[in-house]
Amino acid sequence: MSFYPLLIVLLLMSAVGYWFGSKKALGAVRKSSSFITPRPHQFGLYVVIWALVPPVLLGALWVMLQMTPLQMETGTSQQIDRIFFPILVLLAAGGGLYISILRINPDLRVRKTIEGLVYIILILASIVSILTTLGIVLSLLFETIQFFKKVPMTEFFFGLNWSPQTALRADQVGSSGSFGSIPLFTGTLLITFIAMCVAVPLGLLSAVYMTEYASSKFRAVVKPLLEILAGVPTVVYGFFAALTVGVFFRDVGDSIGIDIVSESALAAGVVMGMMIIPFVSSLSDDIIMAVPQSLRDGSYGLGATKSETVRKVILPAALPGIVGAVLLAVSRAIGETMIVVMAAGFAANLTANPLEAVTTVTVQIVGLLVGDQEFDSAKTLAAFALALVLFVVTLCLNVIALIVVRKYREKYD
Amino acid sequence: MQIQQIDEQQAARQGDAAEMIIKTRDVDVFYGDNQALKHVSLDIPKHQITSLIGPSGCGKSTYLRCINRMNDTVDGCRVEGEILLDGVNIYGPEVDEVLLRARVGMVFQKPNPFPKSIYDNIAYGPRIHGLAANKDELDEIVLTSLEKAGLIKEVQDRLHSSGTGLSGGQQQRLCIARALAVRPDIILMDEPCSALDPIATAKVEELIDELKENYTIIIVTHSMQQAARISQKTAFFHLGEIVEAGDTEKLFTSPSDERTQGYITGRFG
Repeated sequence: MSFYPLLIVLLLMSAVGYWFGSKKALGAVRKSSSFITPRPHQFGLYVVIWALVPPVLLGALWVMLQMTPLQMETGTSQQIDRIFFPILVLLAAGGGLYISILRINPDLRVRKTIEGLVYIILILASIVSILTTLGIVLSLLFETIQFFKKVPMTEFFFGLNWSPQTALRADQVGSSGSFGSIPLFTGTLLITFIAMCVAVPLGLLSAVYMTEYASSKFRAVVKPLLEILAGVPTVVYGFFAALTVGVFFRDVGDSIGIDIVSESALAAGVVMGMMIIPFVSSLSDDIIMAVPQSLRDGSYGLGATKSETVRKVILPAALPGIVGAVLLAVSRAIGETMIVVMAAGFAANLTANPLEAVTTVTVQIVGLLVGDQEFDSAKTLAAFALALVLFVVTLCLNVIALIVVRKYREKYD
Repeated sequence: MQIQQIDEQQAARQGDAAEMIIKTRDVDVFYGDNQALKHVSLDIPKHQITSLIGPSGCGKSTYLRCINRMNDTVDGCRVEGEILLDGVNIYGPEVDEVLLRARVGMVFQKPNPFPKSIYDNIAYGPRIHGLAANKDELDEIVLTSLEKAGLIKEVQDRLHSSGTGLSGGQQQRLCIARALAVRPDIILMDEPCSALDPIATAKVEELIDELKENYTIIIVTHSMQQAARISQKTAFFHLGEIVEAGDTEKLFTSPSDERTQGYITGRFG
């Protein structure tokens, strides 16, 4: 029997079990003298759990055994698979059904079994996400160790020259293969800095406007609009940066006699900032809303104007939370890829001039892994090292931001 | 017994002679379509304590918040009628409601010190209104305000620690000191003791009683004992209207309206 018929049979068995269990329980509960008995459908669920959990566990065990190298070699395992496994599963399900129906009586505390299963399912769900994160970190870590076997750490962390093309043949020229990551990180910092210069003031001011000045009608219309901005795919922002903003800045530069390349850090940073505005504004919006109304009343009651109240009471009270929001925004900007791939390009210049082209860590990771690659060359392994450093940086930023935000939350009341 | 009566009569006559600092004429307040106050007319005597009592939702806090135009900060609130402060209609076009609030201070139900130091809490008002020319003057204002609020002894050695670290009663007196620092003529108090324990309440009441020497005080309270203890005048609100207003003594001993009688004897509310 193959997989799908088996599944259908199992489901049918559990449906029958549910119906039969509920029915039997109903009879038993009616006859019972006790006045607190579980409800019949809970008995039904109890039977279903007994019918499904053993086969599922068995299946999981089976898959694990299959993956061990011992089983893979033997050809007979295919035969055993076809006949032995379905029988085993059906037996387990049938046995579960039989035992559970036999055990039904009004004094059985079936609610505990059901709640217990719910508890286990919830725990499994969270464990899966934690394990995934751990798996990602480990895979990055192993490849990074491989990379540092080929390229010295000092070159990677302190080298000023990034040019990852290694020679394929001994006689090839122009491919020195140097892996100094500093230009990438300065490029990332430059673009992030520009993005923050755009996003923080605009986002914060719009949050202040939304919370303190706008009428509730206006707010009800505009706030969702602002959040649509957050839903625009970053590729679209990338188009906008590469085709509109970059060209615009170049033309403006031309007309006032400054040389601005069309793939400037400025264009990428400004568009990235626009992308982050809704992020900053909706986070700070929540934080400013959390400042108690009583503080506003206190300030107005002393004859303060609205702007005085915002500047001297609300923003200082919300400041830690806003700092947390900005840090979260920074970590998003650092991790952002698509806009910079499209707008900033691949030239690894070590410069602090926003009018020149720079590149970022994420762009280089894309560049290193696109196309046909051998997965043991220094070039591809470099991508993992970059990713690991990036991961650590954004993780630290997130942790700091969360600590700051949490500390602030405890402050009122 | 007789002497006491004569004293009371004298007090009543003094009350009649007192100058009315606020005159309210036919005030209606609407929250959207909902009318919260109906044709309220009330005079508030200068340098006395006036209590506003009544069941929840009767409009007494709404009335209080009309006097410093705090209702203007509420979305969809509309006020009609006249409130004269020293003969000037505070809802008139020439009155700046922000400056009005400096003359009419307010203390709220829940102590609401800013999350700043004790000093900065009190200096907040004088700073925004430019009441102090230099640091020394500001220090002077802060210290006298704390002294008037009877808080100076408890906080003088920690003026620069946070105002939110004080106890509830101290916080409320800090808020009173903060209101005093902008030199108001009138202080509105919206159930200032409802979040405080009896000992802190007694201290705040004592303070309110002292303040009436120099300030006109209007206090909203749910405690009829408190109204009877501290106020000279009392107004009873019910369903957005003033049912009865007058000398506290008379209102509590021989109310002229049945509803007042019912409320003060605890039959409803």
